[in-house]
Amino acid sequence: MRPRHLSRAAVGALLSLALAACGGGGGFSGGNTSGGGDKGTVRMLVNITPNLTQSYWTELVKPFERAHPGVHVKIEAPTGKSVADTLPQQLAAGNAPDVVEQLTADRTRASQMLDLTDQPWVKGTPLAQQAAVGGRIYTVGVGEQAQSLIFYNKAAFAKAGIQQPPKTLDELTQDMGRLKAAGYLPLQTAGDFVTGLQLLQLADPSLAQSHPQWYQDVKAGRLKVGESLLPHLRLYKSWIAQGYVDKNAMGLKYPDSQTRFFAGKAAMYIMGSWFTAAEATAKKDFEVGVFPAPVQTGQRSPGPQGATMAAPYMILKSAEHRALALKLVQWLVTDKSAVTSQLQQDGNFRPGFDRRFTPLERQVQQILDAAPATVPQGEGYGDDTLPNGFNDAWNTQVQGLYVGRSPEKVAAAVDQWVASRS
Amino acid sequence: MTHATHTKPSRRGEGFATLLMVAPATALFAVMLVVPVGLAVYLSLTDWDGYSARPHVVGMANYAHLFGDPVMRHAATVTLLAAIVGTAGMNLLGLGFAVLVNGSSRANRFLRVVLFYPHVLSALVVGFLWSAILGTTGAVNSLVTAHGGSVLPFLSDPTWAVVTMIAVLVWAGFGVNVVLYLAGLQAVPASLVEAARIDGASRWQVFRHVTLPALGPVVTVNVVLSLVTLLKTYDLVVSLTAGGPAGQTQTLAYLILWNSFHDNRLGFGSAQSVVLMVVTAALALIVTRLRRRGEMAVYS
Amino acid sequence: MSEGLTTIDARADTATAPPEPPGTVRPRARRPRRVWRPLFLGVVAIFMLTPLYVLVVNAFKPQQQILEHPFGLPLGALTTRYLGHALHNPEFDIARGYAVTILFVVAVNVLSVVLAGPVSYVIARSPRRRYRALLLVFLAGTFIPSQVLVIPVVYVLKTLGLMGTIRGFVLFETSLTLPFSIFLYAGYIGTIPVTLDQAAAVDGAGRLRVFWKIIFPLMRPVVATMVILNTFSVWNDFVNPQIILGPGSGLYTVTTGVYAAVSQYSTDYTVVFPTLLLAIAPLLVFFVIMQRHIISGLTAGATKG
Repeated sequence: MRPRHLSRAAVGALLSLALAACGGGGGFSGGNTSGGGDKGTVRMLVNITPNLTQSYWTELVKPFERAHPGVHVKIEAPTGKSVADTLPQQLAAGNAPDVVEQLTADRTRASQMLDLTDQPWVKGTPLAQQAAVGGRIYTVGVGEQAQSLIFYNKAAFAKAGIQQPPKTLDELTQDMGRLKAAGYLPLQTAGDFVTGLQLLQLADPSLAQSHPQWYQDVKAGRLKVGESLLPHLRLYKSWIAQGYVDKNAMGLKYPDSQTRFFAGKAAMYIMGSWFTAAEATAKKDFEVGVFPAPVQTGQRSPGPQGATMAAPYMILKSAEHRALALKLVQWLVTDKSAVTSQLQQDGNFRPGFDRRFTPLERQVQQILDAAPATVPQGEGYGDDTLPNGFNDAWNTQVQGLYVGRSPEKVAAAVDQWVASRS
Repeated sequence: MTHATHTKPSRRGEGFATLLMVAPATALFAVMLVVPVGLAVYLSLTDWDGYSARPHVVGMANYAHLFGDPVMRHAATVTLLAAIVGTAGMNLLGLGFAVLVNGSSRANRFLRVVLFYPHVLSALVVGFLWSAILGTTGAVNSLVTAHGGSVLPFLSDPTWAVVTMIAVLVWAGFGVNVVLYLAGLQAVPASLVEAARIDGASRWQVFRHVTLPALGPVVTVNVVLSLVTLLKTYDLVVSLTAGGPAGQTQTLAYLILWNSFHDNRLGFGSAQSVVLMVVTAALALIVTRLRRRGEMAVYS
Repeated sequence: MSEGLTTIDARADTATAPPEPPGTVRPRARRPRRVWRPLFLGVVAIFMLTPLYVLVVNAFKPQQQILEHPFGLPLGALTTRYLGHALHNPEFDIARGYAVTILFVVAVNVLSVVLAGPVSYVIARSPRRRYRALLLVFLAGTFIPSQVLVIPVVYVLKTLGLMGTIRGFVLFETSLTLPFSIFLYAGYIGTIPVTLDQAAAVDGAGRLRVFWKIIFPLMRPVVATMVILNTFSVWNDFVNPQIILGPGSGLYTVTTGVYAAVSQYSTDYTVVFPTLLLAIAPLLVFFVIMQRHIISGLTAGATKG
């Protein structure tokens, strides 16, 4: 055979192969297309973290699938950076999932979500009313995450001679000085999303007291976000200047910061209650304690605790199997074993659901119980929301403190960001 | 009719054949690239958030906003810096190494492979790899801190991070330029070079006055190619720095996708896309004109 | 290159090269050059290869070893455990990623040649103004940064019912290859004597036949160049498969799979290094085996004409 013919034949074969393959695969929605059938595939977009792996999610929904023969729950991991970027991509593409985990409804998202207000089982779920938008419930969750917690190395505190955890931010700063003198890095932080998150978590109890109507005031234009957080930004800048946080921390990722804290080099770590799940399995040679984020001098201590819904679920209006999606979400947020498993896996809390607690988790529970109130944080949820993307914009600006920007400049940039989106 | 013109196929038949040859590619190009560009222009005049069913037309508001946005200005500066410095770097190294590894010795062949192989890796992989090497907990810093040094902020200091990003872009990309310049060098007539040598010209003089001018069109292609590629830098940012620290390494393409999907501002993101397209086309045209090869089709 | 230059052989390392490299920055220092050039090139080669070395050795080491001796090669402590984990990662089935990616590469290349070849022939052979204009329109396509166009492309694909499908993705990727392909092909066909076409036409062959039977076989070098370029660009594309295929389709390429597998665990080096190694090794081995053909193929089509 002459080579020319050979290559022509090869091209022809490949082409038919390619076309056949194109014809074969491709669709993205499985199952039948009848609107409310009780068989089919429910697609659920979930958040993937070191605690919540893809295999965890797949295992979680297995009992539900067993109880509903013919039903398949398809766990979908975000292809974008997060659920928050992936959902809009899918909506734009017209292939949104049926259920989405991790996001809470705001005015923009609510338009796409199923109104759950009239579902009887919704009433008992945590924070459902607080997360309502315009009085309607779109988001239901499994539990509560406490946000404003400072975990600390008990050995480090003992070595620095600190008897009582600090109650005010001034005390906190003084203790940082002692910890540094004792040879510790006072506060562990990281780049990623950690920098901005920690400062929000730290600010919740004091901000909620100095500006009890913060979200409403911001929305009405009576208050500027950056301005109201300027004291915290200044405080943070002073910590950078005094070496209370590592000036190279921006090169660290979120898991790095945990690893370093457990390695015993750093004395404190600001993080939400889910950190207890990591603590439960981490190797370390010291005991970890926890205290609520301090308040400003003269404020009531402990202050309100920043709290967010753990594992929030929403159902999309466009859901192919609406009835099935409803059943699934109901099961996820009310079934005892499903709820307990999720609480356990990500270190979250819910009254009435007893589970194995580590000593540290008991302390977090006590902090939650002792808090006079719970408050939303950052972007917030329900009616109290800042524009989409606030948390990341805030994070980027707070990191600016590390690269030489002044607190005033950072505050102004945050305010400009909010103004440009309102 | 077909019978009558047996030796010369009919005009109508030929017209149909021509249509058959031109139409599919043109149609695909139109549907997949021309229509989307038009749509991008339309979306850029709206406030679409990706959620609402119908975008509102807001006129030039996105564009007005865009030029006053400090984040956008910074990303534009970083992108242009990466494109210009990167293009210079890739082409100087590309040409330099093409000259150095020209020839068919075993060593030269090996070096060509070594210089080119990063191009086989995706930019995403390259970014993850270098971040594992240069990151704060990466290979280099582990070594430095183990020997008592302090952490080198390759990716955590804003200035270093931009420099690192550009360096990695050049590292990953200049191998292509080497190969293209090599091809150009092959095409320089050996007789010309020999004649100049016989006339007593030094190596440098030969290179400067014979080789380089003959390489003219290749230089244009290389510069335009590097420029166009670097202006759309995205994947590497995702895996190397994720835009950090403090958003200092966000490129335009990164910001566009971030604004569009993360912040639900597809209208604003589209306006940024349109600007990037215009800037890319303008820069490519300017370079082509500057090279005084009026024709864009340098190869033809 | 321009008309006046000699046509050169397809292979990069041919005898048509000048007898000696035409010069370097340090031209006159002949004697030291003998020492400096290999030394310099050796250092450069080490610099280029170090990341690869780090990747390979650390894929076989536990985290502690990686952090303490990132460049070390502890022969006793090497293990394939982590490589095994990466190979059986439920979130990223590498073999499947490869299969999907290879399918895309083949489909895009075939479709690209089938579409771009004929139109380039018409453009190259027609003196008409409208084809000249068509070429310019296609050329303008090379300046479109595809990643930022993905939003309206999603819209178009959605309208056509092709979103999240293999077909939609292949069509879009193919359209991205058209501008540069047509640019190269048209230039190349321009160097093939028209007398060949005329002879065939006299024998009664129609235009389509003339192209596929006579011209296309002569275009092998330039088609090879484009196939190589397109293969790299489809293989390495990240944004387009990520968004067009989306999480719903369950399809991922090697590149988007790496992102899913690595981005959440970017500090767990026992995940990062083995996954990256598995993702690049087959392609890299293929490249090294085929390097002669790839590197010379890249330049063959580009320099003729």
